[in-house]
Amino acid sequence: MSTYSTILKSGSELGLDPVGMIIASAKPVFRLEPGAQNEIKLQLIQESFAYHYKHNELYRKVCGEKQVAPDDIRELRDVARIPLIEISKFKDVNAHLLLTMPITELQHELRSTGTSGIPSISRRDEQSLTRSVHSIYAMFREMFGFFGGGAVFLAPSAEDMPEMGLVKLINMFSGLLDSSKFFVHDSSFDPGEVLDQLEKWKHVHTRHIIGPPFLVERLAAAAAERETKVLLDRQTRIITLGGWKSFTGREIDRFEFYKATAEVFGVREDQVRDMFGLVETNFMAVECGEHAKHVPPWVYFSIRDLDDPEREVEPGEPGRLAVYDPSSLAYPGFIMTEDLVYLDKEPCACGRHGQTVNYMYRIKGAEVGCCAINLEKYMSDKEARVTQCPIG
Amino acid sequence: MYNDIIAEHFMNPRNIGELEHPDERISIGNPICGDTIHLGVAFKDGRIADMKYKAYGCATSIATVSVFSEFAIGKSVSEIRKTSSEDMEAMLGELEPNQMHCLDILSELFQSLGTVKEV
Repeated sequence: MSTYSTILKSGSELGLDPVGMIIASAKPVFRLEPGAQNEIKLQLIQESFAYHYKHNELYRKVCGEKQVAPDDIRELRDVARIPLIEISKFKDVNAHLLLTMPITELQHELRSTGTSGIPSISRRDEQSLTRSVHSIYAMFREMFGFFGGGAVFLAPSAEDMPEMGLVKLINMFSGLLDSSKFFVHDSSFDPGEVLDQLEKWKHVHTRHIIGPPFLVERLAAAAAERETKVLLDRQTRIITLGGWKSFTGREIDRFEFYKATAEVFGVREDQVRDMFGLVETNFMAVECGEHAKHVPPWVYFSIRDLDDPEREVEPGEPGRLAVYDPSSLAYPGFIMTEDLVYLDKEPCACGRHGQTVNYMYRIKGAEVGCCAINLEKYMSDKEARVTQCPIG
Repeated sequence: MYNDIIAEHFMNPRNIGELEHPDERISIGNPICGDTIHLGVAFKDGRIADMKYKAYGCATSIATVSVFSEFAIGKSVSEIRKTSSEDMEAMLGELEPNQMHCLDILSELFQSLGTVKEV
């Protein structure tokens, strides 16, 4: 047994939270050699699997059907044998059957809504929620490094939509900043108002922009039209989340977006970063300055062959993303997504080790949907209602 | 976070499903947050003989439809109409502030069923 496994096991026996220990050590763990990182992942996933196997009757039944038990998971390559929950199950009428914990232990519900209008709801208990908060802040601190400044949030406010995953996440940035303001009100967005705010904060705060790509794109277009340029700061971060595809099917080219946005706001391209996450999981994969999306070192991404979902494909090969997130206690955090991705073959030049992921698009037949797409659709519908003229 | 009524109905929802040939269909929902309910009602001899639904949303909203279905089956539409808002509040028990929108859902369910022409 390795030193890391021993420490995690001893910590666990002493009543410490092994997942929390690793999350709190994100910076050094990111820089461990891949072998050591993988041992940590394996240990955490083994423990998580054993926990859900023991306490979740339905999940244990599924494991029985697949003929896999905790003792069968000995190496990282065995992890792919751990049964996955289809992400669509979180929308199911009978989603309560997913729960490992009784409802009385739950503290929070988070939702994401796609174009179908049916929400995906993930329910969390006290410890999963604490891990989730630590996990997200650990990644924000590690990848963005800021603890100050002012941010314009291109999203509805948390007061308007407290349970929407995208909003909840954006709102979490507030705790790291000196000032922040939401700019989508009643499904309307006025880029001029945002640009005025950024001007007001000039020489007051390091200014940041955070929101879905389609709104940052609108903001950049409005900024490009202005006679006086809004040039941001040396430590500015322009952070996007929510995906690159519109509900109409149009896709924003990520790298062209970085270039154009950086140019308009007078910043370097490495200051423009994207993040990827799911409301059903407790982490964000965040881009470093090299534009590589780093999977947190406590999470395992298993990329599956589209024709044979039991088979993992090699880095570089596209496949369907399966996530193994050991931080989830309320339900098994082993989730088969509807996203097509590939892992980078080479280690990232930023010095962090571990998996880096490239999002491609939704798999064929999947609902085009997330909070950002739903928001865009709703805003677009509203704009259409406002601008339509009577005929005749 | 969840009172006993909500917890019990969420974990053991009553009358979940879909009626093959309902006499009435009721759909209510919020396009942004996504709480969505599709309800089918069957009448017999002037009373609600059966009711099935599919509900998507927070635990409290799912429990709310379950509570409603249990209450409504066996009653006439005029009895549904006569239900007071105090009775509706009591049906869901004490709610947290962020669950209060489910009282609106319940009220909308009563209102929608109350406007159905008695069969």
